[in-house]
Amino acid sequence: MSRSSLVESVLDNLPVAVFAKDATDDFRFVLWNQKQEVITGLQAEKAVGRNDYDLFSKESADYFRDVDKAVLKKGKPLEVPDEVVETALGEIHMKTVKIPVVDSETGRLLVVGISEDITERVKAREQLEKMNKDLSKTNQELQDTQMQLIQAEKLESIGRLAAGVAHEVKNPLAMLLLGVDYLSKDLDPEDPNIDEILIQMKDAIHRADRIVRGLVDFSSNRSLTKEETTVTSLVEEVLLLVRHEITKASVKITEDVSEDLPPVYLDTSKFQQVMINLIMNAVHAMAETEKPTLKISAKAMSLEEVEKNQGARTYKVFRKGDLVVVLEIRDNGSGISDANVAKLFDPFFTTKATGVGTGLGLSVVRKIVELHNGEISLNNRKNNQGAIVQIILPTRAHAEVT
Amino acid sequence: MAKKVLLVDDEAGFTTLMKMNLERDGYEVRVENSSPLAVSAAKAFQPDVILLDVVMPEMDGGDVKAKLDADPELTDTPVVMLTALVDSTELSDGAVADSAGSMVLPKPVEMELLHNVLNQVLSEADSE
Ligand SMILES: Nc1ncnc2c1ncn2[C@@H]1O[C@H](COP(=O)(O)OP(=O)(O)O)[C@@H](O)[C@H]1O
Ligand SMILES: [Mg+2]
Repeated sequence: MSRSSLVESVLDNLPVAVFAKDATDDFRFVLWNQKQEVITGLQAEKAVGRNDYDLFSKESADYFRDVDKAVLKKGKPLEVPDEVVETALGEIHMKTVKIPVVDSETGRLLVVGISEDITERVKAREQLEKMNKDLSKTNQELQDTQMQLIQAEKLESIGRLAAGVAHEVKNPLAMLLLGVDYLSKDLDPEDPNIDEILIQMKDAIHRADRIVRGLVDFSSNRSLTKEETTVTSLVEEVLLLVRHEITKASVKITEDVSEDLPPVYLDTSKFQQVMINLIMNAVHAMAETEKPTLKISAKAMSLEEVEKNQGARTYKVFRKGDLVVVLEIRDNGSGISDANVAKLFDPFFTTKATGVGTGLGLSVVRKIVELHNGEISLNNRKNNQGAIVQIILPTRAHAEVT
Repeated sequence: MAKKVLLVDDEAGFTTLMKMNLERDGYEVRVENSSPLAVSAAKAFQPDVILLDVVMPEMDGGDVKAKLDADPELTDTPVVMLTALVDSTELSDGAVADSAGSMVLPKPVEMELLHNVLNQVLSEADSE
């Protein structure tokens, strides 16, 4: 086969790779231009006279052969938009057009290939896709943060409102109470209803006052008075405080609190408030339970252990290796319906009758726990056994740093 | 002789009701609804104890207290602050003492609690 030097130099200077295989001679290469040398890292002398199986991996060669045969069978050009080839120079991507050609001089059947190296382009595209993905992730994170900010802002404005409203509401309440106190002393013995009415009114005044106090508690930013203590003694004190309520509701308490827990750094009275709120919630949830049982447990462990026990849950404020105290309160009450799980910690969310619940308990609880750099969750136990509250507290060293 | 209580609070409805309660319980009561006039009212009335609201327009309870303390004639008169501001953890059911040592009572306040506090404050003042 003779080629003019013109054709020769055109072929060698094309920006694309050009090769040809002789289908009548076991697909051996008969043409291999310079660009093909550059792309594959194989010199023409090495390639011409050999076939794909001599030059590439079996896997690649099989693929090339299949395409070649398909081209011949169709008798028409075929485009392979993205061919991945393992070469001496690493993995490359090529866009290849294969054309069936009959050599008019020799009558031999050739497969001519024209390949463009699109490795850079593919890499750039992958890069772009990755950047795009990162970008939408960042965007999502931004949106989440914004939502949190809005939420925080909302809570803060509730807070500011609460402090103002509290004052405005407490004054009229104070007047009502003085009026009721005055009337309570000069009762008409003829009408026993008056006594009952005044008791109810007084009750209503105190209830309204409680709600206002709850609001102020929830929104107040006062700093904590932390002291070194242990969860062991905290639980002990709290159980004394709620003993009356517990006995009244015939709740059985089982305790699994280690004696030698590492010290934690807490505002004791705030944390008593937390525990009392949680225990009273549990007592309320067990109102219909036949054998109401409350299990309180506390253990020290590394954060890794907590994560292992909790599955995929991630903790926001803790780091790997932190030693934490895990306090859990399990009840065998009603549990929480799926629709309500997400709302439990929202201010004013309550499923209790007016007058019983204010819906502020858990939001105050969460706020206090978070002020201690702790985390809290409230979930259903397995098999509808009831609810479980988990509080994770930093041990002293970590608590003090922040 | 009846003990004299000066009641300083900008809320006229509150002072009216408080006065009724206290008078029925045997106190002699004078009301001052304008805080800047509290000191001169105290000088004129010579109360055994002053019940002082905290949040008031013009001059708040803290300022009034400072003026009373600064006046040699009034510095020994006990003051009980009344406030709608204190929150529940500090003040579950009772009275607390503020940093300056005066008693602070929450609003709304039960007359029973107020009587106890007044009795305590007055007997302390008598024994001095
Ligand atoms: N241990 C629990 N078991 C089942 N539901 C609970 C439990 N603790 C809290 N809840 C639910 O969360 C709601 C909000 O609780 P909380 O903020 O303390 O307000 P409140 O107790 O005034 O309703 C409750 O009304 C109840 O529906
Ligand atoms: Mg509650």
